[in-house]
This record gives sequence, structure tokens and C-alpha cells, in this order.
Amino acid sequence: MSDTILKFQNVTFRYDGDEGKILPPAVEDLSLEIKKGEFVAFLGHNGSGKSTVAKLSNGLVVPESGDVYVLGMNTKNEDDDIKIKQTVGVVFQNPDNQIVATIVEEDVAFGPENLGIEPSEIRRRVDEALKVVGMYKYRMHEPHKLSGGQKQRVAIAGIIAMEPQCIVLDEPTAMLDPEGRRDVMKAMKRLNCELGITVVFITHYMEEACQADRIIVMDDSHLVLDGTPREVFSDVDRIRGLGLDVPQTCALAKMLKDDGIDIHGDSLGVDELVNSLAEILNRG
Amino acid sequence: MLKDITIGQYFPLGSVIHKLDPRAKLFYTFTFIIMVFVSSNFISLALCIACAVLIIALSKVPVKTVIKGLRPILLIIVITSFLQIAYVKTGVTLIDFWKIHITSGGILQALFMTLRISLLIVMSTMLTYTTSPTSMTNGLDRTFAPLVKIGIDFNIVTMIMTIALRFIPTLIEEVDKILSAQKSRGANFESGNIFKRAKMLIPLFVPLLFSAVRRAYELAYAMTCRCYNGGKGKTTMNALKYKKCDYLVTLLTFAFIAGVVVLNIYCGEYNAEFTFNSAV
Ligand SMILES: Nc1ncnc2c1ncn2[C@@H]1O[C@H](COP(=O)(O)OP(=O)(O)O)[C@@H](O)[C@H]1O
Ligand SMILES: [Mg+2]
Repeated sequence: MSDTILKFQNVTFRYDGDEGKILPPAVEDLSLEIKKGEFVAFLGHNGSGKSTVAKLSNGLVVPESGDVYVLGMNTKNEDDDIKIKQTVGVVFQNPDNQIVATIVEEDVAFGPENLGIEPSEIRRRVDEALKVVGMYKYRMHEPHKLSGGQKQRVAIAGIIAMEPQCIVLDEPTAMLDPEGRRDVMKAMKRLNCELGITVVFITHYMEEACQADRIIVMDDSHLVLDGTPREVFSDVDRIRGLGLDVPQTCALAKMLKDDGIDIHGDSLGVDELVNSLAEILNRG
Repeated sequence: MLKDITIGQYFPLGSVIHKLDPRAKLFYTFTFIIMVFVSSNFISLALCIACAVLIIALSKVPVKTVIKGLRPILLIIVITSFLQIAYVKTGVTLIDFWKIHITSGGILQALFMTLRISLLIVMSTMLTYTTSPTSMTNGLDRTFAPLVKIGIDFNIVTMIMTIALRFIPTLIEEVDKILSAQKSRGANFESGNIFKRAKMLIPLFVPLLFSAVRRAYELAYAMTCRCYNGGKGKTTMNALKYKKCDYLVTLLTFAFIAGVVVLNIYCGEYNAEFTFNSAV
């Protein structure tokens, strides 16, 4: 229990419809536990409830029934609000709508300033956060002159400067070009490996999801799959049935298997697939 | 093209003026504006001019740029001067021909008004030329922070200013995008009479408003995630600190006030009032 950072217990949530119309739940009877230090990917087609999970995770919205616990603190308890937001930070899809200041370093300082931290300590945190995401040399720049990937890394730095234990990122790479995606992915991994921050990220890119320790798949407001990338992608038909892609390597392995070629069940990495193919060719 | 617009133009030239505390600059700018109105004769006004020249010289802002800043009010200057010359009939008659009747008083009055208006504009633009928007906001924030004691929370005002400054370039970019999107659908923003053109702005502003509202929602979530609570108990990383030169400048500002007052008293009252009664 003590190594659980985030816990959803039979959570159901629905948004308010116009004029009191009752909408179907965006998240229904969802239970899950995230352990400290995990690197978790969330998958699911559009509208499956992923963003709602992100907003539930630090009390931006609270469940209609069931409970969300952050380090044992219920997000419904308003007294713990600041502590919860300090523990779990959320980064959203559009970096433009998350940056509040006109200078990079002042934006990163925004969180710690609101927490009333000493100026010298804020300076230390800001410099460190910018270095971790590789944006230190842009600290005096104006955000609107940065590329999408750079802006997103500034947004991430703004959360890290509050020294959270867990970061939830809602499609942080969705609006970025391949280079920006790579940089953001790299920054996320550094947070996880070097700072030991628990990272939960929502994505549409299977290649990114494969790099996680654990993948959680949602479908129509329910959690449907939860396991290692290997486990989750082992059933290619199931994943496709949920409206998702599979990594190209898995797709190729699956096609070969369907043609009667005896290949190992799970070929996630390119090297791995090449090796098993080489093995088969040598045998043949 | 729209992207090239800069709001509150700032020239990062790193001069001594740029490095002054924004509070010191706000103080001398507002003092200056008041003193320009207080100045009642050409000698006091000359002191104002001398101060403005000194600040411009120290700021390293090119004189050409400063003068360019006057262009938007050229029309106002011309109209005011014309009115002064047409209605002020004091002093010696210089030209008296057909219906045109120009006196030395009119000319002097026109000159006086032109100098006053120009000084106001020059000093206000010098403030924005030498102070970054962030620094300005910080300065305003610190200047008005004590108002919280009488129930006015200026923190919210500066937050709004910061967000406005932050989002102006984003929204301008968005306008550009919407314009291109609508043009590629055959919209024509450049022709037709004024009503037609005004109507063409609807497909520009509706999507802009829609997106701005969506942005505001997302920004609210992002600010909540960063523990924003209206600025209560907030600290500042780059806290402003009054340095020696800021104290010196503030002292000089007071000396300037005294100078103008003394010159006003000793050099007599120049009649600076708009004298309608002398109009024919
Ligand atoms: N602000 C909102 N108001 C009403 N319904 C919403 C709102 N946001 C999301 N929804 C609905 O909730 C469901 C889940 O949305 P979301 O969590 O954004 O899914 P995802 O991020 O997986 O695409 C969708 O059916 C969506 O239409
Ligand atoms: Mg989403």
C-alpha cells in the first residue's frame, strides 16, 4: 500500500450536460493502482475517457462515485488540495494553453511562487527543472518564439519545479513533429530514471507506448487491458478491435504468423524481430 | 504580417535606463507627465525638455525611433496648432490678410501645446521602449501591492496583464491562420463596401472567440495544477530590489519637481489657457 502513489477505486465520472441533460459516464467503475516509480502509458481511442482520467488524478475534477487517492489523500478532501496538486502534476496536450508568463524562466517559477517558496530556492528549482528538460539555454526566451516541442518541455519544467512525485501527461506529443516528440519522450524518461518521478502518459503513438513499463488500455469509459507492452500487444486482433494500431513490428510478426511461419509470439523491438527472422532464415 | 506587430514596443538595448528598477521609471514617467502640465512657462518647459533629452541620450534609443513615435499623433498636433493660431489673438499681429489673422500669441500658444503633447508622448513611449512588459508588470505589481491593505488586490490585475501579454502573440497567430483558412475557402476580406467588409469579419471573430474560450478553460486547469489561488502568499523569484542608482534617480525626480515649481514661480505665468474669448 505504501508504495502506491495513485489509486482509483470504482471511479465513475460524468460531465454536466447542457440544460441538466444527463450524459453517459466519461469514466465508469474504473479501478487501478499506480506504483511509485512506474512509467505507464495510457491508450484508447478518442473519447474513451483518457483525458478524464488525467483530470481525475489530481482533483481537477472529482468522481461522482468511487474515490481517487493520491498517497492515501482523497481528492474529494479540499483541505489536501494543494498537497495533492503538488504531488501529482498534470501536463496537457496544447503547450500554448499552459504557459502563463512571457519569459520561459518566469513561467517555470509560477508554480513554486504560488506555493510561497523562498526566492533562492525557486531559482535553484527553476534552473534544475529547465536543465532536466534540456531548455536551460532558452530560459530568457519568450515562449511564443519556441517550437511546439520546446514549449511542451517548458510546460513540463513548470510542473517539475513544484517537485511532484508523479506527473500525468495528457497526449503531450500529439501536436508535435517527430523531433519534438522524441525530445519530449526523452525528457519524460529522464524524469522517470534520474529523478525517480512516476510518469503516466497518454498517447496515440504505439512506438511511444512500447517504451513504457506498463500499458493501460481504455475503451468506452472502461479499463479493458492492463499489462506489460509485451502482454498487451500479444493479442493483435484484440488491440485492433479496440480501434488502436499495433507497433509495426507486431503487425509484421502477426502477418508472418498468419501465413504459417513459426515466429516467437511477441516481437516488440526491431532488433528482436530481426533476430527471430534471422533464426528462421538460418533454420530454413 | 500580423505577427510583426509588437505590443508596447520594447528595445532591449541594455542601457543604464533599461537597468533601472521599473518602479523608479514608472515614478519619473508619471511625475514627468504631471510636471509637463504644471509647467506654466517656456523656461519650466525647457527644463522638462532637458530631462527628456537626457533620458533619451542615456537610453541609447535612436532619436529617429523616438521621433517616429510621434507620427500617430501628428494629426492631433496639427489640429491643435491650427486651433490655437486661429483663436488666440493676443500679442503682436504678424499677418493680417483677407480673413487670415495671425498673432504672435497664437504662434507661441501653438508651439507651447505642440511641445507639451510631444513631451507626453515621447516620455510615455520611452517608458515602454526601455522597460520589458514583464518588468513593467512586476513594477506595477510591487507599486500597488500595498493597496491590498485597503481591499484592492492588485495581484489579480497584474496576472491579467501578464496573461494578456502572453496570449496576444498566440491570438495574432491564430487570426493569421483563420484568415488563411477562410481565404482558401474563397472568403474575400479586402473588397466591397464597409458594411460588406464588416460582415466578412464575422467568420474571423466567431472562430477566434470560440478558440479563446477553449484556451481559457485549459489555461484555468493548467493554472490550478500549479496551485494558483489568486496570488495569496505568493513569492517572487526575481524580486525587485531598489539599487543605489534607483535611489539616485528617485532623488533626481524630486529635484525635478522642485525645479519646475521654482521656475514656474520665478519666471512668471505664461498664459497657457485656451482663450476662447479672444476669438473673433
Ligand atoms: N467538458 C466536457 N463536457 C462534456 N463532455 C465531455 C467533456 N470532455 C469530455 N467529454 C466527453 O467525455 C468522454 C471522454 O472524453 P475524454 O476523457 O476527453 O476522452 P479521450 O481523452 O480518451 O479522448 C467523451 O465522450 C467526451 O465527449
Ligand atoms: Mg484526450
